[in-house]
Amino acid sequence: MKRHLLAIFVLFSIQAHAGEEGLSHVQVQTSLAAIQRGAETFMGQCHSCHTLKYMHYGDLKHFGMDQHKVDEWRGDQALDAVISSQMSDEAALQSFAKVPPDLSLMTKAREGGPDYVYSYLLGYYTDKDGMTANHVFPATKMPDILGGSMTSDAAQLEAIRKQAGDIVSFLTWVADPHEQERQRLGYYVLAYLMVLTVLLYLVKNRIWSRLK
Amino acid sequence: MANKIIAWVDRRFPLTSFVKHELTGYPTPRNLSYWWNFGFLAGFVLVLQVVTGIFLAMHYKADVNLSFDSIQHIMRDVNYGWLLRYMHATGASAFFLVIFIHMARTLYYGSYRRPRELLWWTGQGLLILLMATAFMGYLLPWGQMSFWGATVITNLFRATPFVGDQIVIWLRGDFTVGDATLTRFFALHYLFPFLIVGAVVVHLVALHTVKSSNPSGIDLSHKDNIPFHPYFTAKDFYGLGWFLIVYCVFVFFYPDSLMEPANNIPANPMLTPNHIVPEWYFLPFYAILRSVPNMVGGVVAMGLSVMIFAFMPYLDRSRIPGGAHYRPVYRVLVYIFALDMLVLGYVGYTPPTDGTILLGQIAAFVYFMTFLCLPFISKAEENWLLKRGFHPELEALVAAEQSAIALRNGGGVK
Repeated sequence: MKRHLLAIFVLFSIQAHAGEEGLSHVQVQTSLAAIQRGAETFMGQCHSCHTLKYMHYGDLKHFGMDQHKVDEWRGDQALDAVISSQMSDEAALQSFAKVPPDLSLMTKAREGGPDYVYSYLLGYYTDKDGMTANHVFPATKMPDILGGSMTSDAAQLEAIRKQAGDIVSFLTWVADPHEQERQRLGYYVLAYLMVLTVLLYLVKNRIWSRLK
Repeated sequence: MANKIIAWVDRRFPLTSFVKHELTGYPTPRNLSYWWNFGFLAGFVLVLQVVTGIFLAMHYKADVNLSFDSIQHIMRDVNYGWLLRYMHATGASAFFLVIFIHMARTLYYGSYRRPRELLWWTGQGLLILLMATAFMGYLLPWGQMSFWGATVITNLFRATPFVGDQIVIWLRGDFTVGDATLTRFFALHYLFPFLIVGAVVVHLVALHTVKSSNPSGIDLSHKDNIPFHPYFTAKDFYGLGWFLIVYCVFVFFYPDSLMEPANNIPANPMLTPNHIVPEWYFLPFYAILRSVPNMVGGVVAMGLSVMIFAFMPYLDRSRIPGGAHYRPVYRVLVYIFALDMLVLGYVGYTPPTDGTILLGQIAAFVYFMTFLCLPFISKAEENWLLKRGFHPELEALVAAEQSAIALRNGGGVK
């Protein structure tokens, strides 16, 4: 009986990951250094078209990023301004026939999460007609920003992979800026609950021992 | 001083007698296993949902242009807003898990049987209210899955004879799911939990009239009952500790595992997601809906699949006392049914292919057949057990019970 249940659960989990086949796994970094590197690449490459509408420049500073960097990125915008793209929606519609999506929640909004974004960024290749295509999201209008399809140099590819990893780490933080705080609190909560449960067990035993 | 105050209150309100009658003196079978903890847990989760929900409502905006952003505002800017929201979202799943276990226990131990029919039916009403509340709550974040889930489910009311189209418009307040739908779902999502609280009171009044069932399935004599407080309050709180550990693992470490990625995309009426799936707790019923090729048939089958539990007191015709533990054939049926629910859940989750459609149809057939065959199977089992003899433990229980009754009634009159 138990074995059958187990088989069903295994089936279930395989199925749950079926949509994520062909994605490469990325180790999301939670260090300030990696997230700041990702932010730099984002501001340099992605920011020209993409927004982070739930993020303010002040949030980056508040998180601990270098003040000068943040000032450089925001230019003459206020510290509490939303991180909007440098391209207007009209200009984007003209160039791509589509407004590039907001990236605030991107690592949560796709099956596969961070792995999806990572694989997508590295998923570009040159097809037999010499056109750039993407095997993760074939309908994409975005050009190969990181340039993975244009090089076969191992060292350069490794650098691109690292860059993509940093972008994903940054976007994962953007999608859930309280994650580290949540997990830290979670350990205390669980430790407290375990002690409490042991005590409640002792109380219960003590009370029930009156019955004998 | 305290005694004086209590005496003052007691002259005006039956406080002491109420506590004595419902708690410190409420007779509870001493052999209740941990499966009997889940009613208390359901009550706890209800309170948790109401409390977190009221605080969320203070920051939430029910407006198609604002609600998605207001959720992000809660997640990012409100102090511990992320905690409130994750507790509430995880709480919905926890509620269904607890209720499903509570129902499974009732089915396994035959707690729905005479004289607890009304208790079971008030529970059935609570299940419907809970499902309605969860369904309306899921629209509020106004993500893609919120929108399309609500569109698909409200669309099912088209199956109503003659006035189907009008009913759908009446439910949505518009021709499509839109602002009118969102605001009314919010209003009702706030109202329904209080209806649930009222229905829980009715459920408890029924429980305290017929008293708790117990694993043996026969009513125990007086000596086997102990007061609810302190024995079962202590046991319930210990169980609550375990529940909170599991719940908090999800809240703090895997809060997104129960959410569909597509719901992190704002609702877009112009773009249908590839694969519309309900929350996990609706999957078996959704699979039954999809298993019937005809829409009206599917809706009827789905409605029946939820409501059929109410017929259990009549479908089970066996007079053999005791739950599934002492009824080998019924026990097999319960296991088949549980397994079938898992298969249906799996089918509801996967995109339909020829294979899963067939699997779903078989599983839906098995689902209804376990109920429909039960009158005959339970009767046949009864006859078989009467011939073959009861489980020795049950034999001993019944004998002990009969001698206790004889002792109580007898006393010389015999």
